[in-house]
Amino acid sequence: MQADWKLSGLSVTTEGKDRTYLLHDVNMAFKAGEITLLIGRNGAGKSTLLETMAGLRPIAEGEAMLGDEPLWIDGKRKKRLNRSAALRLGIAMQNSESQWFAATVREELLYSLKPYAVEEAVSIQRIEQAINRAGLPQELLERDPWTLSGGQQRRLSLACLLACEPEWLLLDEPTAGLDAVGIRRLCAVLEAHRAAGRGAVVATHDLDALLPLADAVAVVSGGTVRAAAPAAAIAHAADAPQALRALAALRAGAALPPGLPAPVSGAPWPAPRETALAIAAELKRRAADERSPAIALSSSSERSAPLSFSASNEKLTAHKEVGTVQQPLSSAASGNKRMVLRNDTFDPRALVLVYLFLAACLLAQKTAVGLLLSAMITCLLAFPLRAFIRPWVRVIRAYIIMIIIFCIVAGIAFNPLTFDAAKAWPIALRFGELLLVMILGMPMLKLMTPYRLQRAIEQTFGWLERLKLPIHSFALIVTLIFRFIPLLTGEWERFAKLAHARGKSASIAKSVPFNRIVPTLIPYVRSILRLAEQMADALEARGFGYARRKPVYAFRLQFGRADAKLAGTGLISGLLLLGFAHML
Amino acid sequence: MKTDKQVEIKQISVTPPSMRIGNEPLPILKNVSLTTRQGEWITLLGRNGSGKSTLAKIAAGFRVSGQSGQITRTIKTAAEGKPVPIVMQQPEAAMVGATPWEDVVLLLEQNELAGINIPYEAEKALERVGLGERLHQPIETLSGGQKQLVAIAGCLASQSPMLVLDEITAMLDPEASSFVLKQVRALHDTGITVIWITQKLDELRSGDRLIAMEDGAIRFDGQPEAWFKRSQAGTCDSLCEQFGLEAPYAVQVAWELDVLGISLSPLPLTADMLAEAVKRHAS
Repeated sequence: MQADWKLSGLSVTTEGKDRTYLLHDVNMAFKAGEITLLIGRNGAGKSTLLETMAGLRPIAEGEAMLGDEPLWIDGKRKKRLNRSAALRLGIAMQNSESQWFAATVREELLYSLKPYAVEEAVSIQRIEQAINRAGLPQELLERDPWTLSGGQQRRLSLACLLACEPEWLLLDEPTAGLDAVGIRRLCAVLEAHRAAGRGAVVATHDLDALLPLADAVAVVSGGTVRAAAPAAAIAHAADAPQALRALAALRAGAALPPGLPAPVSGAPWPAPRETALAIAAELKRRAADERSPAIALSSSSERSAPLSFSASNEKLTAHKEVGTVQQPLSSAASGNKRMVLRNDTFDPRALVLVYLFLAACLLAQKTAVGLLLSAMITCLLAFPLRAFIRPWVRVIRAYIIMIIIFCIVAGIAFNPLTFDAAKAWPIALRFGELLLVMILGMPMLKLMTPYRLQRAIEQTFGWLERLKLPIHSFALIVTLIFRFIPLLTGEWERFAKLAHARGKSASIAKSVPFNRIVPTLIPYVRSILRLAEQMADALEARGFGYARRKPVYAFRLQFGRADAKLAGTGLISGLLLLGFAHML
Repeated sequence: MKTDKQVEIKQISVTPPSMRIGNEPLPILKNVSLTTRQGEWITLLGRNGSGKSTLAKIAAGFRVSGQSGQITRTIKTAAEGKPVPIVMQQPEAAMVGATPWEDVVLLLEQNELAGINIPYEAEKALERVGLGERLHQPIETLSGGQKQLVAIAGCLASQSPMLVLDEITAMLDPEASSFVLKQVRALHDTGITVIWITQKLDELRSGDRLIAMEDGAIRFDGQPEAWFKRSQAGTCDSLCEQFGLEAPYAVQVAWELDVLGISLSPLPLTADMLAEAVKRHAS
């Protein structure tokens, strides 16, 4: 017997300090033998829900049960993923192609099958079947997966999923980027899966293709999920399928009587032929009508007006709901921004100068009192910037622990066992100063945008260009590097998740266990290279590929009042520190 | 009407340079000729690998390795002699600035506009695409559709009379797609030439010039009506069907109506047009 999903009181939060809810108190059941569509706007939480059900995200509150098996079970220290539940489901995330690391297609499939520990004969048979069902020719088995075309790679990722014969398919935007043939094949696979009594949860925008298949629809909006009848669900979709838009327009224009044509049982909307028949019938009736066509038109348009209004109203309220949920979030964010400093408040040159001066003053301290004073002043200066320092708290903690260990190692003497504070002190002083310098430096990058930094470099060192030093190219590179770093970390997390989903390990998905380094690292490096290539292409397409003949500055940085305040604060604190160091 | 020609491409072929000896690569474009005129909307249709992106790149004025043939361009942009910027699929890939304002300004600096005008031009362009309120919003808080509009604003600000948009709605959800399409249609109404590359037939409007590509050659160049035209009611032989593409719902209904003896003219391409045509037929 195939098991149903039951989510009760399920909540998922963001990671990090300020936990905000991504999903809140979700109570939902998904039945085996049914295809359930997840619909909702971008960012509503559809992918989050699928990843949570696949065990790729920890659950903050509540419970997810697959049949009578919980998805997470209590471990020794913390909860861990229930492996037997995880083996019963397969997830295909967005862009799940390009995750390859093995030498051949066959080895990729074998890797996906490994957690299932099936016999060799069975696995050969399963691989053959999966390849067939995904629509790939058998000869591809010995090919390098990276030599497949984009469409073939998408099919291979589907084959990897099918080879595992999971009870539950969790698919995220499976039709994105597929052509008509690919979509038809996907629908056939889903239908076969359902016919075998198994279930699927599919997050999608493509109602045109998938709504005809769906048995149930769940709407994800504002962090909650609720079930909806397929027909009613359309009002919540990001955009109505073409057919329904056509029917609505026809009814609004009074070319069709409301309620007609009724779709054949099961289909969410009438086929083109049925609509055409209904239009033809209506036109005939109109022609037979004795009244003049103009009056007939206006009267019937009045008749249908309330209907179309209520439909659009419904859509409006659905949108409003989303709006109100998101509003507090964004206003909180912007309020935060206003409270602390913005990244274009200061001139980067002023920031760097003040920082260097303060760092020198901090490093000039030689006494315990001086260090204490430095710490106090650093805290005072860093206080308005605390929001920017918070993400680094773990680094600071690790560094302090390191200082303590170093001090102990330096001061300890065996035989007899004593502690010599005089030996430990210089280390504590030096490293303490460095810590303070580090803390002051942490918010720096948040206080300037890469572009402003680029301009600062150009304005300060632009004259070197005359000596044939390519300062402007260098400055542009700085901007691009800063642009690239967040992309690097984002990609790493993505591939860690992908490797996790295939390897079915029981740890938290963010970290990459040692035995999964290779399956993560190889596609990651390739993807980074491809990303770089894509970016290079895109930049060239936007005109960055041509060297500038002469520098053009659309704006110049100028020392402003904020910079004067910054410099003043920096100068006073620095002089205070220096004066104190001198007095002692 | 010689003056309104913008780009004239004559018998262009592109064969990428071979990496290995004895392994002749297939040509990407084979003897393609194309002339674009001021104010046209060209919908360029074709499957992956049909050569449509390469053709658009050439039309925009980029050098493509292994190209042969003749191109005449009479496009005046702010950056003389440089290609027209193209907007591509990935909204992420090309954003350089930290805010929409920075991004457009950076692009203009790179394209060597006069420095004093840049901030004004950038702000005007962002206003035109409807992002006037979001000039200084951090770019990572923008939606995918808004990022695409920032990239389009960059093209507008560089005074380009032509927009080359390469599947810019492919990565967007339906709502964002139709929003972006609406904005670009509005820009087209102000007289800008648009080359709109897509795989989605429901983005077609009547009056578009439709170019369908296959295997590096242009297979169709004409009005959408001709593209959807069946030789007889009920025979599935329109070019669209021969290409194996799914026609928009409105067109399918019109085809079925044709079978029932009701022929709608002009052929409705969208839901609204269908309702309009039926209404006109009734009166």
